[in-house]
Amino acid sequence: MIETMIPLLLTALIFLGALSTAFWKSPFDKLIGLSILSAGIIPFIIMRGYLDVAIIVALVIPVTTIFILFLLGRPRT
Amino acid sequence: MNIEFIVGFSLIIFGTFATAWPRPKNYITRLINLELPAFGLLLVLLSFDETIALLTFIAVAAITTFVFVRVIEKKEAAE
Repeated sequence: MIETMIPLLLTALIFLGALSTAFWKSPFDKLIGLSILSAGIIPFIIMRGYLDVAIIVALVIPVTTIFILFLLGRPRT
Repeated sequence: MNIEFIVGFSLIIFGTFATAWPRPKNYITRLINLELPAFGLLLVLLSFDETIALLTFIAVAAITTFVFVRVIEKKEAAE
C-alpha cells in the first residue's frame, strides 16, 4: 500500500511546486517553489536506484539557485 | 509508460507554456520558469534508465544557467 501511495504523493508535491513556480510573481517565491519541485524529483531518482545521479542533482540545484540569486541581489534600476 | 514518464511530459508542456508567456514579462521570470521543462526532461530521461544522459544533462543545465545569468547581466547593464 505504501509503495502505491508514495509516487502519488510525490506527484502531488511536484505539481504543487510547478504551479507555485509558474504563478507566483516575486522571484524569491519562485525559487522557493523550485525547491519544492526538486524535493519531489529527488525521491523519484532514489526510487529507481541511481544514487550517483541523486548526489549530482542535490549538489547542482543549490548552485543553480545561487547563480540566480547573484542576478537578483544587484540593485535594480 | 510509468508515472515518471507521464509526470515528466506534463511538466515539460506546462513549463513550456509558463516560459513562453511569463506573468511579469521580464528575463528573470523566464529564466526561473525555464527550470520547469528542464526538470520534466530529467524525469523523462529517468523513466528510460539513461544514467549517462542524466549526468550530462544535469551538468550542462547548470552551465547553461550560468551563461544565461551572465547574458542577462550584460543586457540589463546595457539598457
